[in-house]
Amino acid sequence: MKIKDPSKMGFSVIKGVFLTILSLLCVLPFVVIVSGSFTSNQEIIRNGFSLFPRDFTVEAYKTIFKTPEDILQAYKMNVYYTGIGTVLGLIVITLTAYVISRKEFKYRNTVSFLIYFTTIFGGGMIPWYLMYANVLNLRGTTLAIWFPALITPFLVILMRTFITGSVPDAVVESAKIDGAGHWRIFWQIVLPVLGPGLATVGLFQALGYWNDWYRSSMFSTSSKTWSLQFYLYDLVNSTQAMRQMAQYANVNTADLPTQSVKLAMSVVATGPILILYPFVQRYFVSGITVGAVKG
Amino acid sequence: MKKLLSIVLALILCLSLLPLASAADDMSEEANLVFYVMGDAPKDEVAVEEAINAILKEKFNATIDFQFSTWTDFNLKYNNTLISSGADLIYVANWENYGLNANNGAFLEMDELLDTYGAELKALCGDGMLNMCRVNGDLYCIPALWPEYVSLGIKYREDLRAKYDLPYPTTLENIEAYLKGIKDADPAQGLLRPTNTESASSLIIGFDTAYLLADKYPWVAPFGMPYGLAANYETPSDVYDYWFSDDFVEDCKMFKSWADQGFWSKSALSDTNDNEAYDNGLAVAEIAGMNPNKQITSANNFAKEHPEWESAYITYGENTGVLYPGHATQNGTAILRSSKYPERCMMVLNYIMTDEAMNCLVQYGIKGKHYELDENGFYVNLDDSFPYEGFNTWNLRVNDYKLKQPTDVALQAMFDKYAELGAKTKWPNVNIWDGFTEDYTDYASERAAVGNVMRELLAPLQAGLVSDVDTAVADFRQKVTNAGLQACRDGFTEQWLDYCAEYNYQ
Amino acid sequence: MSSPISTARLAQGSDRRTDERRKLIVLGLCAILVLVLFLPFFTWIRVADQDALYSAMGLKASVIKKLTPDHSILTFLSFVETSKQGVLGFWSFLLLIVALAAIALCLLAFIRYLRRNRVAEGKGMLRTYSTFQKGMVFSFATAVGTIGLIIFANHHYGLAGFAPGISLFLVPVISLVGYAISKRLEKTERVLCREHGFIEEFRRNWILFLFLVPCFVFFLINNYLPMTGIYFAFTQFNFRDHLFASPYVGFKNFEFLVRSEILHLTQNTILYNLVFIVVGNVLQVFFAILISHVANQRLRKTSQTMIFMPYFVSYVILRVLVFNMFEYEVGLINNFLTSIDRAKVDFYNTPSYWPWIITLFYLWKNVGYGMVVYLATITGISTEYYEAAQIDGANIYQQIRYITVPLLKPTFIILLLYALGGIMKGQFELFYQLVGNNGTLFSTTDIFDTYVYRITTTQPLSMGLGTAAGLFQSLFGFIVIVLTNFLIKRKNPEYALF
Repeated sequence: MKIKDPSKMGFSVIKGVFLTILSLLCVLPFVVIVSGSFTSNQEIIRNGFSLFPRDFTVEAYKTIFKTPEDILQAYKMNVYYTGIGTVLGLIVITLTAYVISRKEFKYRNTVSFLIYFTTIFGGGMIPWYLMYANVLNLRGTTLAIWFPALITPFLVILMRTFITGSVPDAVVESAKIDGAGHWRIFWQIVLPVLGPGLATVGLFQALGYWNDWYRSSMFSTSSKTWSLQFYLYDLVNSTQAMRQMAQYANVNTADLPTQSVKLAMSVVATGPILILYPFVQRYFVSGITVGAVKG
Repeated sequence: MKKLLSIVLALILCLSLLPLASAADDMSEEANLVFYVMGDAPKDEVAVEEAINAILKEKFNATIDFQFSTWTDFNLKYNNTLISSGADLIYVANWENYGLNANNGAFLEMDELLDTYGAELKALCGDGMLNMCRVNGDLYCIPALWPEYVSLGIKYREDLRAKYDLPYPTTLENIEAYLKGIKDADPAQGLLRPTNTESASSLIIGFDTAYLLADKYPWVAPFGMPYGLAANYETPSDVYDYWFSDDFVEDCKMFKSWADQGFWSKSALSDTNDNEAYDNGLAVAEIAGMNPNKQITSANNFAKEHPEWESAYITYGENTGVLYPGHATQNGTAILRSSKYPERCMMVLNYIMTDEAMNCLVQYGIKGKHYELDENGFYVNLDDSFPYEGFNTWNLRVNDYKLKQPTDVALQAMFDKYAELGAKTKWPNVNIWDGFTEDYTDYASERAAVGNVMRELLAPLQAGLVSDVDTAVADFRQKVTNAGLQACRDGFTEQWLDYCAEYNYQ
Repeated sequence: MSSPISTARLAQGSDRRTDERRKLIVLGLCAILVLVLFLPFFTWIRVADQDALYSAMGLKASVIKKLTPDHSILTFLSFVETSKQGVLGFWSFLLLIVALAAIALCLLAFIRYLRRNRVAEGKGMLRTYSTFQKGMVFSFATAVGTIGLIIFANHHYGLAGFAPGISLFLVPVISLVGYAISKRLEKTERVLCREHGFIEEFRRNWILFLFLVPCFVFFLINNYLPMTGIYFAFTQFNFRDHLFASPYVGFKNFEFLVRSEILHLTQNTILYNLVFIVVGNVLQVFFAILISHVANQRLRKTSQTMIFMPYFVSYVILRVLVFNMFEYEVGLINNFLTSIDRAKVDFYNTPSYWPWIITLFYLWKNVGYGMVVYLATITGISTEYYEAAQIDGANIYQQIRYITVPLLKPTFIILLLYALGGIMKGQFELFYQLVGNNGTLFSTTDIFDTYVYRITTTQPLSMGLGTAAGLFQSLFGFIVIVLTNFLIKRKNPEYALF
């Protein structure tokens, strides 16, 4: 079954050119960041960024890892928040998405609407803060840091699309005729074919948790519960804020090489997830191999 | 649906009732006081707190728990703490909107408490300091008791000035000559790195260069009052119009000529506010937001990194003759209105600020463990898990107990000089401007619109980045008038005159 | 009209139909009566003891002059505003919303009744009844809530200052009557349409309800309860009265929106968002398709990872990179231009470049992230489709055109709809970090969020301003999304968001 396809050649060229250009555009700034993180602060301030470090130094990393136990604690918390948030979130999101994807469920539109509604209307930050800090009294707990991001409406709707896309109604109907309940349909029919959906939503969920600093900032009362991002973010903020502060009062300002530390920070915070990323990837980059193999 | 609604209503009611509870203080009940302060916690927070609490527990049956804003979104979190009643004692400062918050009822009136539980503290502060902390007649905070000067000025490279034989950058003409001289001698050298001003003072000025106005006019407020008004320090109640004066046009033309000469980047309006440019030799002067302490910091940096460089400082006040210390509300402590233990708060505050051992414990940690004094009586840090003023409690500074650091000598020398100059003014060493709080509730939307026009049109004018000053000024005046300038000016002037009358600044 | 129902109806005895008609007329009367009673001419709340009440409120003579003694629930808020009684504000505000909902539902019931012959098959009058019932429940709640408000107010001021009007007692009675009759009508109609009510649905699908419990708890805590904060858009906050008792100020917090060049801001925000949505999605689809066709496993993964990387570059860092590129004196681009003897470009003082620059960096940062969704969808496409197409002699472009793209459509529409709801919200970080506070560029770079940020930072304690701005954005997005969803639902209900 050999099929000659002259269009393949042209397509290969297009593919090659576009992907190479985009990949380079995307990766260059990252190279600049990594190289900057190994450059001394003065050098960056004086001569700007470059593709290769002009004077190799690990000063910036030393600053960040000055107190290794603190940053390890922050790493630990980040893993904890990401783990618990992704697993629990994925379960709740998938269950909800399953319900609103079922045509026989009378209130599916109402529920979808109520979920979507929260993305449009909100009471603002302060009532939200008071809810957790005063009503539920969760300030200082880890619960306050991971719970508020457990469900993202966007991901619920996305998951619904994946479910309707990968589980044809006919399959569910015939299972029902065989006497399967929702519980069984969900576990035995829907979940097994939901690979790409789970991977995608799980990835987004995990990224959201991994990159979060806001809730640590709002609800922490001790540095023990800080997430990694907040730990790093606050490091730079404190230098800048102290310098500004000194405008109003005679305050001794801490000395932190801001530029290179900022860059090293991104490397430290992004590294692990970039390493993990390819493992999740295979669920949604399997690609249309048929043409390639047989063409 | 009905059920949902009733649950919602019930919960809302609970929510609204929460911050109301307040009962009389019962000394037999242990009071755990949350003391909210700015910045990050020291590593040894717990150890020092335990040492403090051991004493407080015995004396007042109270404990203190310092909680920290961290420096991320600190304004936001500070406000949240006030709204959610998240503390008993709290750091206050004019730059944290002390006046506005007090006016809006965030803090407890202190007069009676101070009379009953803080007689020593009251005596220590003196009526003058306390009066400065009053808002509409009521006392809401206890100020820090360390007179300091944060006078604006220009920080510049004395070594370059000497090398090229340039005038001291005192007046605007001399500053121009200083910058131009360096530019001529070394065209590649960066001169200034002014940026767009962030929120705090943005309703007074648009761009950093406006700080230079303090070098030209003997104004009561360093770079003019809000809404383009101004008044001289000697005659505070004589408010006049700056934006519509010829002076304003002239100043804008000067800024343009400086920008045209390349004193700062054409891209300055979007600059990333690089604090380190001066310390790294990329700028030869800093003109905005400077104060004696920043000069000391730079001098130390130079000594460490570039011993051949020399940083010097000239306050604008030396040129205009207007010099005064920082206001009492620069660093202070207030009690939250919602605190359950206001009496205990006052007792504890009184004790911390009047007992030398306790004050040192709070400010510097445990003696022998965190710090000691050297043979000259200077503070020496032993363990950076609790640095100097480790709890960031600048509000608890007391002059008599303050442990000096070596850098304080140079700082004190500057203070002494300014105090001497300040004594010669009509209001000897009185900071008139910073005690004033504007209540703009009635013209908030006009104020917002004016602020927006300033950001859009005034900032480019003050950065000298307009093609024609006269047209741009006309455009600015037109738009700012349309935005509702007059309503703001009327509202502001009325309050300002009341304030002047109250304190008799005529 | 669907045939099984009409035949069923025909089979009914005429007795039954006249009875039904009679009941329907009663229902109509109930709805009209309720609507009339809501009109401001009917007194719900009366100030019984003016002198005592006004002195308990501590009002000045000048204020008292402006007050009238009789109020409907629709006008009571203006009394609260004029007399500056924030204590009553939140409660009255909630009641006003419930009252408006009741009015809207009653009107909607009429519309549904008039359109009853055109509704979707099999539903008959059910939707009309259900809307009507909701209307009755809401009007009942309004009345009872108003009685509660009067009791609360009298308790608060410690005297019988307010008294209920006659209308206040009529409304709950009418609502109850209407509700009961409608329930009975609904029951017969359900049998006819083979529809079931909530209890039956719960019995059948209780496990689905169980699945929803965590989601329900989450959104209640995280979103719906804090939504009460929308009320703050109408108050002037102070710490003495605290959140729910601060003075109610009506639409004062919205004034600053009108004062600004709101049209210009709206236009900027929407245009940017449209470009981001359209161009962003097109590029994401384009590159997702390209990547899915890369045969070499390792190459495919590598290029995908690389394209994903910009997502990790925070805006704070991007700001520094961009400034280094576009700066006038020493920026990379201008250095390059100088080196090839071309004139420098003054990016930071020329507004017209910035829509391009901002869009470019937005795409750069988001293409890789958004692409994942499309990649996953492509992965889900069965290879059989492609094999069949190849046998039919379709070349690779045709395969993409006729298989891949159509199958990506549902995903695209969902993403589009989702993005449209936030059409008035902007990528604040992107704009703020790239442009900063550079007023020269505002004509092309100022969006709603950056504007509001500027205003609120100069007005500390202005919780009301921020909330008001947010509410405006929400309402705008809400209208857009409801309209779009309606249109899409008409064309293809499968694609609708709700």
